[in-house]
Amino acid sequence: MSALETSAPLSPRASADRRVEVKGLSKSFQLARTTIEAVRDVSFDVRRGEFVALLGPSGSGKSTVLNMIASLIRPTGGEILIDGKRVVAGKATPDVGYVFQRDTLFPWRTVADNIGYGLELSGVPVSERRDRIAECVAQAGLKGFENAYPSALSGGMRQRAALMRTLIVEPQILLMDEPFGALDTHTKIDMHEVLLRIWEREQQTVLFVTHDLGEALTLADRIILFSARPGRIKDMFEVDFARPRDAVKVRETPRYAELFQHIWHSLGEEFVKGRSA
Amino acid sequence: MRRYSTLGTIGWQVLICAIVLSVWQWGYDLRTRLPWLVPDLLDPYFISKPSMIFDNFLIQSCLKSKLGVFNGWFNGEFAKCLARNENNLWAATAITLKNTFFGFVTGVVSGFVAGLILGRSDRLSAIFQPFITAVNSIPRIALAPIIVLAFGIGDMSKIVTSWIVVVFLVFFNTFEGARSIDEGFTNAARLLGASEWQITRTVVIPSTMAWVFASLTPAISFALIGVIVGEFIGAERGIGRLIIESEARGEASGMMVAVVVLMLVGVVLSAIIWRLQAYLLRWQRQRSAD
Repeated sequence: MSALETSAPLSPRASADRRVEVKGLSKSFQLARTTIEAVRDVSFDVRRGEFVALLGPSGSGKSTVLNMIASLIRPTGGEILIDGKRVVAGKATPDVGYVFQRDTLFPWRTVADNIGYGLELSGVPVSERRDRIAECVAQAGLKGFENAYPSALSGGMRQRAALMRTLIVEPQILLMDEPFGALDTHTKIDMHEVLLRIWEREQQTVLFVTHDLGEALTLADRIILFSARPGRIKDMFEVDFARPRDAVKVRETPRYAELFQHIWHSLGEEFVKGRSA
Repeated sequence: MRRYSTLGTIGWQVLICAIVLSVWQWGYDLRTRLPWLVPDLLDPYFISKPSMIFDNFLIQSCLKSKLGVFNGWFNGEFAKCLARNENNLWAATAITLKNTFFGFVTGVVSGFVAGLILGRSDRLSAIFQPFITAVNSIPRIALAPIIVLAFGIGDMSKIVTSWIVVVFLVFFNTFEGARSIDEGFTNAARLLGASEWQITRTVVIPSTMAWVFASLTPAISFALIGVIVGEFIGAERGIGRLIIESEARGEASGMMVAVVVLMLVGVVLSAIIWRLQAYLLRWQRQRSAD
């Protein structure tokens, strides 16, 4: 049970090992003359190659934290360091990829042109681009749909294409904001398989926002549990299933059930709080 | 929506045309017998008759001489007839089309660029907003006499009149389009490393296109209106000039020929826009597989 008892903050590690450092982060929004405190004093580190899930009920500020790391939102207080460099709001950090909850594929570009978008921006020659797009299309199981427009694809296919659009530029840090939240259960587990295979091969540092405990357990090395608004870190859990993981089989192990039970209770409290808030 | 057979639809369309043309052609003849049924407006003095319009068309277009004899293509009669009248139907159509084209293109390009710049800059749009509202409240056609006064009775005044009615239409649509861009798209592009210019080129312009195209069909009609009004006020050539001349002669069929030509020109230009739109916005047409 020792892994279950691991509590925040984690023991300090060598600084070179830290990819993402979040220090005393807070964020308040002005909404119709009232101030809403979304995030309060959140601090955590993410190791190189670690897969971290940010888990919490909706309104717990986990997406806000992710968007601040992505430089999309300016924090009210605190700072974020990526590889020791401070994140500046509005300025994209190189090497950081982002997968949105909604796929945000450009509807006016074909699947292939969407996937190749990042390479096009950096001026990769057409012939090289074509090869790498073909590779990604195959990986995402989208063969035969290269020239289709996103509107012709199903939700799962669109999200796979969006994932490839982010991955093709080979980001070392991957930020994912409930990327599979809108998918049905089966498609979701398929996507977990796809993501696990890619992550095992590329070993990116991943920050994955979700409100789905099963998803967090299937994918992550560590779960950071957020409390209901204002979002704070309530607890952290190490997830010690062996790698490589099988997205279906891992759910059938007794250890999974044990961890699920343990975290579920804690998460459940926050869902209740979030509802009454 | 229920699908109706194409043949049935065409059948109804033909029937409607036949009824309208018949009433136009023969309706006034009923006046002697049924005076209470036939309004004054059906008088051919005002609206001519399809047969007279067609005959007038043949004469104005130099296909037929004024004596009612068909001009030969090879004996030079046709060419001589054209040369006699500098503002013959063909030349008038060509000049009106040319001015419409330039008014339309300059209006679309400048309206698009201005809409894009102001739509993407909160600061500039805040500064210019009252001026735009003020100028937009002017019925643009009211400026036509001033424009003719300033630019003369040549082609330039027609192009400027046409431009001024088109530019606002395209501007407002582009502006709205540029304002309503899904932030998800710009964020996605920015996080993939796009510069501001790359975002403009690959996200802002394509996603504004649907809005721009929505304004192009009315814009082409507006461009034509601008040119015709300009020609009414002062011109040596053009279809508007033809209408004014026929009006001065009290010749309804002459005016009607010009109107029919304008209608055909309008239809052809709109069809070109539709085809272009169907191609450039083809991504909107595929429907979801699920």
